[in-house]
Amino acid sequence: MIEELFQIERDAYKDSPVHRLDARVKIVIAFAAIIALVAVPYSPMIYTVGAVFFLFFALLWCFTGLSPVIYARRALAIIPLWGVIIFFQIFLKNKYYTTYDVIMSLPFGINIYAQSVEFAFILLVKFVVCISFIILLSTTTKMPDMLEGGARMGLPAEFALALGMMIRYLFVFGYMFRKMNETLKTKCFDAFDRKLSYRYRLRQLGFTMGTMFIRSYEQGERVYTSMLCRGYGRESYLFVERKPIKRPEWAFLSLSLAFIIAIPIIVWLGQFSIF
Amino acid sequence: MHIPDAFIPIWQGAIYWIIALVFVALALRWARNEMSEEKLPLVAVLAAGIFALQSFNLPVSMGTSGHLVGGALAAIILGSPFAAIFILTLVLIVQAILFGDGGITVLGANIINMGVIGGFVGFYTFRGLMGVTKSMPVSVFFAAWLACLIPALACAVEMYVAGTFPLIEGLVAMGIYHAIIGIIEGFVTVAVIYLITTARPDLVDTGVKAPAGA
Repeated sequence: MIEELFQIERDAYKDSPVHRLDARVKIVIAFAAIIALVAVPYSPMIYTVGAVFFLFFALLWCFTGLSPVIYARRALAIIPLWGVIIFFQIFLKNKYYTTYDVIMSLPFGINIYAQSVEFAFILLVKFVVCISFIILLSTTTKMPDMLEGGARMGLPAEFALALGMMIRYLFVFGYMFRKMNETLKTKCFDAFDRKLSYRYRLRQLGFTMGTMFIRSYEQGERVYTSMLCRGYGRESYLFVERKPIKRPEWAFLSLSLAFIIAIPIIVWLGQFSIF
Repeated sequence: MHIPDAFIPIWQGAIYWIIALVFVALALRWARNEMSEEKLPLVAVLAAGIFALQSFNLPVSMGTSGHLVGGALAAIILGSPFAAIFILTLVLIVQAILFGDGGITVLGANIINMGVIGGFVGFYTFRGLMGVTKSMPVSVFFAAWLACLIPALACAVEMYVAGTFPLIEGLVAMGIYHAIIGIIEGFVTVAVIYLITTARPDLVDTGVKAPAGA
């Protein structure tokens, strides 16, 4: 994950109309889309809602000027683990259906049900579209901008300060992580090498991680001391400059929110389906 | 263990959010009262360190790997389960918003599992076992093992309540996998705490003494 951090930051520093949007606008749109998708009941209507939302995401992605490969690479890093759990749904019954039709019987009494396959698809659509909006948000918004956006939207001061400091030092520890990994490689240490005893491998990894913990703690102490030198104290807070959202941004935000709210309602009321 | 969006209905996610916010507020109060507000930067930087620690791949078996959760580690070193809640809340927010690892609507559930349950189970198991066995490695190992296993079981129960995974299958699958990962987490946490109590005994706030001869 930490290797991904550097790529995300590189992408976030590119320039495009979506990159230039105020972080608050992007946060609200991404969260609203995710909440709307999750709020849609587990029913086939999600296929239509999901498809329309994904087209909306794809349109925004086109304006970022980023390659679809970047999106695909990031999505593929996230989807497999929970993709397995989604896949297993096809063998399981759940509380959202009352009757189950067997479409295939396998050895050991394992069955694949039509309703379970449908449920797996519903989960997959919701999951993939939600992930897409998070990828869009993080690849087009610099971390400090996202934090300032959060602070302007009412994130508690202590949290804004702590998150700000954490984000700043993520990269320091990212580099430290790289260096430590390179050091282990230089010493020909491979945690997955079966020729080495398991106990030895775990001990080496534990000591490496312990070293990193101590270095992060000591870094924290140095930061704390230097902040005290600059007058940090109980009354300190993260200063965030006032920044009004521009009219075009308001317009874009309003239209997007109206779209995000309207689509599930229209699909639900009209029983509208594009499939 | 990072539940993503869509696996828990929105209303259940909202309930988990409310419960998590109560604990996050308590963790903030702990940070103000017990650590003094001025030490917040230290904890924040430590959170970045824990995030990096989670990136180390630990060999499990048959070429598979896992990673440290770190809830028990943070709680034991900083001497409070609220430290784990505070630090893991920061880590989980960053993981959810930047990496899509864990969802937004289910962030409350993830904070409850890894921060609240992991922190409390890890801390009080460690305290309890230290009182009985007087052995730091044994106490830390079981604390870290349980702090990995119990949140995974809680995750299985939440998904059962959500209707997205059956209870028995979920408990068995999550239980077995995290019981194995928990052993690795236990060993690595013992090694990390051994190193810290040896190199910087002043950092540890739990009565754990540096090993004899160190």
